[in-house]
Amino acid sequence: MAASIRVCGVLRVTFGGVAPLRTAGGAVQRSHLSTLSTTPAFTPLTPAAAAAVTWQQVRHGSFFNKLTADELWRGVLGETGAGSKKGRGKRAKRKMKKDLNRGQIIGEGKGGFLWPGLNSPVLREGVVQTMSLRGESEQQELQAELVRQREEWDRRRRMKVKRERGWTGSSWGGISLGSPDPGPNGETYEDFDSRVIEVKTVFNMTAKEGRKRSISCLVAVGNGNGAAGFALGKAPDRTTALRKAKNRAIHYLYYIERYNDHTIYHDIDSTVKKTTLRMKKQSRGYGLHCHRAVITICKLIGLKDMYAKVEGSVNLLNVTKALFTGLANQETHQVLSDKKQLNVVEFQSERGPLPLLVARPEGGARAEPEPQDAIPNTRLHWEDVRAAQGMKRSVWAGVKRTIW
Amino acid sequence: MDPEVQDILTRITGLDLQKVFKPVKQELKPPTYKLLTDTQLEEATQLARLEAQKLLRMAPVLPEREPINDILSEDKILEGMDTAKYMFTDITYNIPHRERFIVVREPIGTLRKATWEERDRLIQVYFPKEGRKLTAPPVFKEENLKVMYSQDRHVEVLDRCLVQFEPDSSDYIRVHVTTYEDVERQGKYDLLRSTRHFGGITWYLVTARRVDRLLVDMLQKDLLQDAESLVSLFNMVHPHSETAQEAARLQASGTDLLKVYAKFESQRAGYIELALQAYEQSPAESSAV
Repeated sequence: MAASIRVCGVLRVTFGGVAPLRTAGGAVQRSHLSTLSTTPAFTPLTPAAAAAVTWQQVRHGSFFNKLTADELWRGVLGETGAGSKKGRGKRAKRKMKKDLNRGQIIGEGKGGFLWPGLNSPVLREGVVQTMSLRGESEQQELQAELVRQREEWDRRRRMKVKRERGWTGSSWGGISLGSPDPGPNGETYEDFDSRVIEVKTVFNMTAKEGRKRSISCLVAVGNGNGAAGFALGKAPDRTTALRKAKNRAIHYLYYIERYNDHTIYHDIDSTVKKTTLRMKKQSRGYGLHCHRAVITICKLIGLKDMYAKVEGSVNLLNVTKALFTGLANQETHQVLSDKKQLNVVEFQSERGPLPLLVARPEGGARAEPEPQDAIPNTRLHWEDVRAAQGMKRSVWAGVKRTIW
Repeated sequence: MDPEVQDILTRITGLDLQKVFKPVKQELKPPTYKLLTDTQLEEATQLARLEAQKLLRMAPVLPEREPINDILSEDKILEGMDTAKYMFTDITYNIPHRERFIVVREPIGTLRKATWEERDRLIQVYFPKEGRKLTAPPVFKEENLKVMYSQDRHVEVLDRCLVQFEPDSSDYIRVHVTTYEDVERQGKYDLLRSTRHFGGITWYLVTARRVDRLLVDMLQKDLLQDAESLVSLFNMVHPHSETAQEAARLQASGTDLLKVYAKFESQRAGYIELALQAYEQSPAESSAV
């Protein structure tokens, strides 16, 4: 390799009559040709011929041949250096590496030569072909085609893929990630859908690098029929973190019982740290009147009608935890009847005084009725009392919404 | 009306709690739950049954009222004084509506008592009743009634008619007659079975002597007691018919009553006898098995 490079530095002298041999291919071939050019017998120069000699200095070895394409691109893009570390680079200016040899066929060039074995077939009707020229117009057509193809690739690369919108234009909350990846023993989770709840960038101080950045994602999965779960995934980049969370969530599932498949059995208050979630049972057709994260998770579980109010901190992880613990610790009608040993009877207001037996205890109901106090012993919420008394002034109380 | 007749009619109507207390279209609230013992549950069901009986009370059936044509005075002097009629109503609070004085002074000058339609309209103006409109809604026109029948909404039609018209007005009787005819023609007695209109349709059919199809329907549904009560009602209403005399002579009861009726009165004797035989065979089979 080194010998050939050195040979390329040889000056090539062109004579008046001799047409300059055009070079094609890389350095190796050029060196071969240049050795050829030095071997022809030297004819003594006549004075007339000496005057017609033109010296064209051509260097076959230059900066651009000494390095590979990868090394050149690395120099252009400037990935290393202190400017790109620790997130100091400016976001807008980022050059993309482009493979210039894409679509290149060895043998094709601006001259339009047909090399048998490279451009054109070696044997045609049993005869070995020799090098020939392609026609002018054909060559121009081919070049135009090449240019068009390259522009097409550029356009494709620049085209922006439309991303599905979550709760807002640029937020990742509420976006669906499809179903979790199949497990190692071949389990598929096709009927489970996963949704992102929160994507946040968190930092950790390390001794060596200082601030170490990582993305934390909270993802919930559910099959719409009562089986749902959530998990947190952390990784240096977003796609990995989402994938980790999605695949981890499927291993932490809760089964939630629903009343008539559309709502909860009774009003629930659940608290996790400083977050309180008050959930109220509603009748069919009410919809999910809740925090947007709660709506996403309820859709994954399969609940269709509920009212929920988040009080205190709105930390999404705590809200999710409160929701799941509250729903999982519900008391179904059967459990309640067994606990109290009494029949659970439902009175619907639209049906008048008709009693409907919903749950019967296993051993049969006991004889003593439930002790009835003059004042009912339920715990009231101050917010509900204020709303009922008319003390609450809120512009958002009776607002009409078309989308939930 | 006879208390016996009332008894029979209520018994025939049946008491399907689920149908009587069907969800009414109103603003939904989440249901309330109570923990009750067995005795308390039975008491609650009993209360519901009483409510249902109150809801299933039969509507009054009265003969058509006669038009009022009473002229109180003729004053030709007042002729041409005004272009409109004047209607004077007595709006004292505690007079029954039937006894109110409503008079009309015509532009010609005559002072006459108001007609029934005018009376209804004015009473609705001064003492509005909920659900009643001043002019009859277009539902009660013939074509629209047919549309309602094709959609099987006979119960709705009858309920609205009850609210809108007086029981002895011609419109009321006309709507009821058309509805009963349609129900009988299509044999859809089930639509009215647990409503307050079943007594009405039975009375109409009994007085018109066209009980056959209803009887067959009852037998097909294995309601033997209802069929017997129907025939005994028929005998009570038409005591001079052959069936009634035969039954009184034989002191028949149960299936014998039905056989007597089948023999004498009905046009579809074969059908009724077939149904009776099928009914007799099925208890025999079940007892044999």
